Amino acid sequence: MAHIPDGFLSAPVVAGTAAAAAAVLALAAQRSRQRLEEREAPVLGAATAFVFAAQMLNFPLGAGTSAHLLGGVLVTAVVGPWSGMLVLFAVVLVQALLFQDGGIAAVGANTLNLAVCGGGGGFVLYKLSLGLVGEGRRRRVGAAAVAAFGSTLLVGCAVAAELALSGTVPLMPALVIVGGAHGIVAVGEAALTAAILGALLRARPDLAAAVAVPPRATRRWGYGVLALAVGLAVVATGVASSRPDVLTAALDRLGAVGGEPAGTAGSLPNSRSPIGGPWVAAAVGVLITFALVWGAVRLARPRRSRS
Amino acid sequence: MTAPLVEIRELGFHYPDGTPALDGVSLAVARGERVAVLGPTGSGKSTLLQHLNGLLRPTAGGVWIEGVTVDAGPGLSDIRRKVGLVFQDPNDQLFLPTLMEDVAFGPLNDGVGPVDAAARATAMLRELGLDGVGARAAHHLSGGERRLAALATVLVSRPVVLALDEPTGDLDARGRMRLVDLLRARGETLLVATHDLTLARALCGRGVVLYGGRVVADRELGALLADRALLERYGLESPSGE
Amino acid sequence: MSFHHLDQFATVPSPVTAMPPVARLVGATSVAVGAATLPLGAWPAAAALGALVAAMTLLARVPVPLLLRRMSGPLAFVLLASAGLLVFVPGDPVLDLGWVAVTRPGVERFGFVLARAVVALSAAVLLVTTTEFPDLLDALRRLRLPRVVTTALSLAYRLLYLLMEELERLLRAARSRNAGAGAASRRRLAAGVAAAVLQRAFARAERTHRAMLARGYQGELATLTEWRWRAWMVAALATLLGLVLVTAVLARG
Repeated sequence: MAHIPDGFLSAPVVAGTAAAAAAVLALAAQRSRQRLEEREAPVLGAATAFVFAAQMLNFPLGAGTSAHLLGGVLVTAVVGPWSGMLVLFAVVLVQALLFQDGGIAAVGANTLNLAVCGGGGGFVLYKLSLGLVGEGRRRRVGAAAVAAFGSTLLVGCAVAAELALSGTVPLMPALVIVGGAHGIVAVGEAALTAAILGALLRARPDLAAAVAVPPRATRRWGYGVLALAVGLAVVATGVASSRPDVLTAALDRLGAVGGEPAGTAGSLPNSRSPIGGPWVAAAVGVLITFALVWGAVRLARPRRSRS
Repeated sequence: MTAPLVEIRELGFHYPDGTPALDGVSLAVARGERVAVLGPTGSGKSTLLQHLNGLLRPTAGGVWIEGVTVDAGPGLSDIRRKVGLVFQDPNDQLFLPTLMEDVAFGPLNDGVGPVDAAARATAMLRELGLDGVGARAAHHLSGGERRLAALATVLVSRPVVLALDEPTGDLDARGRMRLVDLLRARGETLLVATHDLTLARALCGRGVVLYGGRVVADRELGALLADRALLERYGLESPSGE
Repeated sequence: MSFHHLDQFATVPSPVTAMPPVARLVGATSVAVGAATLPLGAWPAAAALGALVAAMTLLARVPVPLLLRRMSGPLAFVLLASAGLLVFVPGDPVLDLGWVAVTRPGVERFGFVLARAVVALSAAVLLVTTTEFPDLLDALRRLRLPRVVTTALSLAYRLLYLLMEELERLLRAARSRNAGAGAASRRRLAAGVAAAVLQRAFARAERTHRAMLARGYQGELATLTEWRWRAWMVAALATLLGLVLVTAVLARG
């Protein structure tokens, strides 16, 4: 469920994700305008059209299931993170408006998931992996594959978190089902991103090599962040598997609705939570996401004199 | 003696990867002339046309339009308005959601206001017999209509020179005759890059043969087409029906 | 998913299509957002917004079967996605299926999520049925979306049709060579085709860019269309927004 339809998200989550997405997009528009060259508008149009076209191709995953390209890493790796996020937003927007693939009210959430987490977050992962593996076509493709895998998981977790915060599904089942499904899709995304970027690098090295490999100094950061992320993931998995109720309980305390029984009609979760509770939680989430993405993209993009 | 409308002097060009495309091309076109630039695929015809309005920059020699050098200077937008370039694939030239927007694109860029630009676009479409399809997207047009539409996007800026790249690539015999009649009636100075000798014969008075990036022949078209040996040597077929 | 139907709708003259596209977009969005964000269990409010969409459908003279047909695809997806709610929401079991049980709150949540989705979806479908893409783009421009986004979308629209043609050609050519038997081979084929389409997209973008430069493009896409607002249009949009707002407030009160 990469594109969340309308009906699954609560008002605070709709508002919060929209605000967060708008903030990141405003920043992206400003940044991409600073770097806008004469050539760029048609290239962005081409990237947008390509993501549409590619999402109409379904790729068999085996066992009767199929998925389509999300394209976060592919697009940001070719046109850069800021323009890339705008392209992905354009895709989300038109898919909601024209194809009803994803809801209109959920545009903010889907933008946050696919453009900001999948595209911006995916780009950070790409940059970090590039820093770890260094220069070279094969290494670049490998880095993109790793980043595409991580980016898809990131999208899955974001979707699960939004569903849980909305009180639609308790967090743990959401993480297991949505996150798990994205885990499978992630394999396909990684393979596709690698195949397409590999072919593009061979045919048009100028386009695909637009992202510079970070210098050694940034590479140390890369290792640091990677270690931290792996450490956190291990701890989180341990906690989650031994005490599945810890996370939901924590969310409950924040005022968000977790897995408590809804009981009889009339005492529905939303009306029972403290006034402003979910809004506060949404605002906190927005701030954290924004700070993380903004900081991470800054970090991954050291001042480049050229470009 | 006044300067020719288009003057190309010792023009040389090679692509960034070193592939040579043009080598010492010299050509002068007077106002009102209709010149066919003939040659097989890869002879440098398209490359030559893209030098006329500064889309490509020469690596040697230069191009002058009404005596003004074509370079990156402030005169470039004026030159781009004077030289109307019609691309080989109309789809490259029809890039906006509706035909109206495509045709009004040039005038809007020249600083014409939206109302006047729309009026000019409407008039242009009517002149080419395309009234009624302005609100449509280019993918809902027929091949012939699309070719005319691409022409309209250029004619609307009132160019003094029209440079056409393979204008009959997707036209049948009737479409070709319609195009010829239209261009003859309008009277713009023409440079037509083509390997369609039937078109050249119907439209142009002078023929220039490009081969391997060099001008190998430049004479009156009838005489040129009568020279079977020349046509054969440079991979040009003689026009059908002879 | 097909897209050839998108701008094949003849715009039927009606009060709805007379409104400026930006009014249609804002109206549909407000109904969709209003419906999608109703608190769980606010059935009367959902029904009220549903009635609002139905009224607009009648005003726009859009045939109801058409609306339903176009909703069915996305709705199937919603149904699939929300089926999980039946068993994942804890509560009194009403139907035991062995290792999972359908719960009463699960059924309630499933039903309401579905209701919200149907209302929001119908508003969205009504919007695209009555508004052509160029108009929609014009509305987005007027809503001050980043210029990069609207410019990219304007160019992407035409390009998408060209790319789809090339995609179909490439797939046909591959199939005529008997490619694509077996999942692994199909996967390779799809990836190869996607890569080829991407390259062509960029090659065409470069040629289009030259065509734009040749016609004096300096980095800004100017707009042509002018829509005139009349008093009744402002009043109609204000009424619609007011109704949505009142419904949303009542649903929470």
